[in-house]
Amino acid sequence: MVFTSIVNFVRSRGPDEFWRKRKVFRLAAHYIGRRRNCYSIAIKNVHRALVYATKGRKLKKLDMADLWTTRIRAGCEEHGIDYFTFKECLARENVFLNRKSLADLACWEPYTFKSLADIAKQRAADDGLNCLNRIENSDHILSKMLKNKK
Amino acid sequence: MSTIKRVQQWATFARIWHIYDAAWQNPFESAKLLRKYLMGMHKPIYHPLNDCGDHVIVINSKDIALPGDEWKKRVYFHHTGYPGGASWTLAWELHTKDPTLVLKKAVYNSMKGNLQRRYTMERLHIFPDSNIPENIMKNVSNQLQQLRPKPTRLDSYDEKYVKEFPKIIDYPKDYILR
Repeated sequence: MVFTSIVNFVRSRGPDEFWRKRKVFRLAAHYIGRRRNCYSIAIKNVHRALVYATKGRKLKKLDMADLWTTRIRAGCEEHGIDYFTFKECLARENVFLNRKSLADLACWEPYTFKSLADIAKQRAADDGLNCLNRIENSDHILSKMLKNKK
Repeated sequence: MSTIKRVQQWATFARIWHIYDAAWQNPFESAKLLRKYLMGMHKPIYHPLNDCGDHVIVINSKDIALPGDEWKKRVYFHHTGYPGGASWTLAWELHTKDPTLVLKKAVYNSMKGNLQRRYTMERLHIFPDSNIPENIMKNVSNQLQQLRPKPTRLDSYDEKYVKEFPKIIDYPKDYILR
């Protein structure tokens, strides 16, 4: 900026207002209404958004961990072994795959996951863990109903 | 197995129809089980944005069993929106009005309140008895296991079986059975 007098130079000390506000407006560029055009409203929303972003970095990791657990649990139940037995038996077999890789295998490589489940089930049987007894359906409503239909 | 077929999954996104017998089952514990199948959480491809839930048919919902004295104590609240429009219905009253509603509300409340919840509920088909329309029954390919076994009552055994059942003692002739 060009100052023609010393008075203006003194009055304009501190950060340049335009560029300072422009940084905030850049962050508010995708908002709608006055939230993107009025500085005093934009700054509030930008602050809030930055707080959400900070919290979200943590939450994203938790959400992904939850998703992996859900997927591994689903994969385990397909093969008739529960999640905790599966993890415990893999650890006993020195298979130290983390939850992310196990979830990827359950989702994308079901045969690989099945072989892991077989390893875990064999180990559980060898160690005498009493978690593999799946109770068969005691009353066969479905088969009864299908019989009645015919 | 060839390298290409190693990751091949047929009919991954197909919807499966399950059937569940609610007779003598706790609806609030059953809701957790049904929710899992309705939302597709029993599949390794599950993702909250992934529409992979299955259909569940629930039969015999009129024979559900509430724990303890919940038939008398559990209250369902409704408000019409007008002043004085609040109403409280006991579980047994609601059950006499519509024998599917207690279970339906249990499943609905067991899910998180988001936009997907109502579409997920569309995949739940509850019937008060075991009379299911033919066009629905023909889709069924799996039966969900009951959470607890349904006990057989003494009057449902045939008389001969009861009479011939091994017993330790015979009552004396002058013994009065009450």
